[in-house]
Amino acid sequence: MDLSNILNISLIYATLRSATPLIYAAMCASITQQANILNVGTEGIMLTAAFFAVAVSYFTGAWYLGVLAAMIAGAFMALIMAVGHIKYKADITAIGIGVNVFALALTKFLMNVFFHKSGTFTHPDIDVIPRIKFNFPASWGEVPQLIENWPLTEWFVIVVLIALHVLFYKSIWGLRLRAIGQHPTAAESVGINVKSMKYQAMIISGMIGGLAGAHLSLGYGALFTENMTSNRGFMGVAAMYFGGADPLKTTVGCLVFGFADSIGARLQNLGMSPQLVLSMPYVVTVAVLAVTMASKLQAENKRKSALTKFR
Amino acid sequence: MQDYIIEMNNIRKSFGSVQAIVDGQFNLKRGEIHSLIGENGAGKSTLMKILFGMLDPDEGQIKVRGEEYSCLQPKKAIALGIGMVHQEFMLVNDLTVLENMILGFEPRKGWQIDFNEAKRRALVYIEQYGLHAQLDKKISEISLAEAQRVEIIKTLMRGAEIIILDEPTAVLTPQETEGLFKILENLKQDNKSIVFISHKLNEVMEISDRITVMRRGAFVNTTNKADTDTKALARMMIGREVFLDIKRSEQEKGKMVLSVDDIWVPGDKETSKVKGVSFDVREGEIVGIAGIDGNGQSELVEAICGLRKIEKGEVRVDGKAINNQSPLAIRQQGVSHIPEDRNTRGLNRQETVEDNLVATVVRDAPFSKHGFMHRKAVRSYAEELIEKFDIRPPMPSHLTSSMSGGNAQKVVVARAISDVDRVLIASQPTRGVDIGAIESIRALIEQATRTGIGVLLISADLQEILSLADRILVMYEGEIVGSMAVSEANEEKLGLLMMGVKEGANAEC
Repeated sequence: MDLSNILNISLIYATLRSATPLIYAAMCASITQQANILNVGTEGIMLTAAFFAVAVSYFTGAWYLGVLAAMIAGAFMALIMAVGHIKYKADITAIGIGVNVFALALTKFLMNVFFHKSGTFTHPDIDVIPRIKFNFPASWGEVPQLIENWPLTEWFVIVVLIALHVLFYKSIWGLRLRAIGQHPTAAESVGINVKSMKYQAMIISGMIGGLAGAHLSLGYGALFTENMTSNRGFMGVAAMYFGGADPLKTTVGCLVFGFADSIGARLQNLGMSPQLVLSMPYVVTVAVLAVTMASKLQAENKRKSALTKFR
Repeated sequence: MQDYIIEMNNIRKSFGSVQAIVDGQFNLKRGEIHSLIGENGAGKSTLMKILFGMLDPDEGQIKVRGEEYSCLQPKKAIALGIGMVHQEFMLVNDLTVLENMILGFEPRKGWQIDFNEAKRRALVYIEQYGLHAQLDKKISEISLAEAQRVEIIKTLMRGAEIIILDEPTAVLTPQETEGLFKILENLKQDNKSIVFISHKLNEVMEISDRITVMRRGAFVNTTNKADTDTKALARMMIGREVFLDIKRSEQEKGKMVLSVDDIWVPGDKETSKVKGVSFDVREGEIVGIAGIDGNGQSELVEAICGLRKIEKGEVRVDGKAINNQSPLAIRQQGVSHIPEDRNTRGLNRQETVEDNLVATVVRDAPFSKHGFMHRKAVRSYAEELIEKFDIRPPMPSHLTSSMSGGNAQKVVVARAISDVDRVLIASQPTRGVDIGAIESIRALIEQATRTGIGVLLISADLQEILSLADRILVMYEGEIVGSMAVSEANEEKLGLLMMGVKEGANAEC
């Protein structure tokens, strides 16, 4: 087996490319997780947004309107969940699954209504998200070529990620968000409006999920396919767990998934069992989580022990 | 009376049919430490929650600096300079100490938090009162004592002149308690007023200027510390009441059935860890363990029954070690258990009376065979127990969730007593049940000893212990601090031991 066929420089690009939608999805899940809401509907938010991005871009001929529509559609789906969960106290998992199934059916239905198509919709009139070209001279070698010709949203994910990090850990809003998520009564006792904070988190989450959808349908290409998110929303949620809803750590999880995804494709070409390869990131996640939990448990047992003296 | 900063008169408060406060009276002077004492459920916390605006009184008058308020809201109370440190801390674990202190009124620098300003404000209090706190640590990384100091700083940063501390020493070690008292003295020097809720009399005698005693929701007395002592306070707290006496039949005490040998058991709180407890129970004997809740009794019971790990030491039934075996294995060796909380461990509330009654024996013939239940046998067994233990309504298919507390408890007691072989562990067997049920449950436990089993009775109710037990042990902070025959015991003596006052020690102030 020739390793250089697998571990070459373009693997880095492949990793980033497959990690980007996961990072968006994971950020969408992280912000609600900070408010102690598990955003099971990430997948549905993304899928709905992906459809509206393509549809609005097709009708208006403007990619940015498509992206805007995607964010609005995402926020709307998140708002459905927010009202059900926060106001009517529905179980978030049930309502999240509902949103996912609804998104699948809705996009399929709307594709039929607007485009009289099923399966895939693509058209030359769809305005795609512009790609950034640096035109590095070829003499600079392979490395600068890596960042050549990326769609705008691929760069923008870095902005989202840093913005969320600052928002969570440096801003007043973020401090209150984390407080209401972890100890709502304590937050309430100092005069913070817990419900209002949760609504805000859900809507911002929907907008980020909208970006994820737009990136999939208008960033990668110019098409919408039924169920085109293909569980990326769920993988984002998994990465969010991996990183404990911390944007930077969560991104590491997404990169692990992205890396496994792209290396898997290569190993598969060399004849390795795809099932085995594809399970790798999950095995790694389980192992990491197990070690973290075990050490936490050990510390807890030590604290409770009657044999240890006062701290 | 212009000297009082707080006056509370004729406060009444009930929750449903339960009268939590019948006649609440309390007043506070500027710059004093005023203890509010009473047994569990005497209404101390409720009265203070009313002052802090968390609960609305049904009746009564609250005056703050001479001005009258019919009821308060926490926001209003904070604005009036009242702060409260709750028993359960209102701190967010994953946030830092500093973040918790400023939460809700963060100093701003644009849209960002001005952490430097926050730190400066916090340090003022840390230095002035000796409230040591590590500002950059997370709450989950600091001790309970430090978390408590953080709560005190939180109230001070919000401008508190009056600080209510709800059983602050319950989570502290003796050394940490000393530290807290120094801080309270510093606050008092600065003319802050402090309400100290407690039931530990020696601490109250150490720290207070004045003491108010409550019993069963009513005001008993307010006194200067100089005019009282621990014995007088204990008498006021416990009161003199007729108690449900059980005629103990003289029972021949047989050989040892249960022996607990120097066991050490982990606990969630420092004071509830079991630290080297030993005792024996003989056939036909009832050994009572007295103590205020949270001093390791629950952990001790769970350890004996296999529900909690024993870190060191041995528990034997008929000389055979049973420690750290599964609850089922321990049960099969003749140990039966009445759990302290019938709603979580005692009953499956969603199931019927018969299914609950048969739960511990359902694996055995004739109740099941090859994994299938024999409904008829279950039914007739249930009917038999319902009649014998007078469970009402007398319907095996009745859901336990719709039964009264007393009858639900009878189901638990009936199951434990009919299944017992060698040892009965009865933990708070009559908690929260009516007088009639109390009488019959006590009689049933007494009768059980006549068949030669040993009983370990754990109760926070002194009258229960005094009327049932042959021998009484007192637990305090995870250790046995006293042991006596029932003939030598009385409420006052036990009460002092339960509150951590060493035997023979008098009011030492």
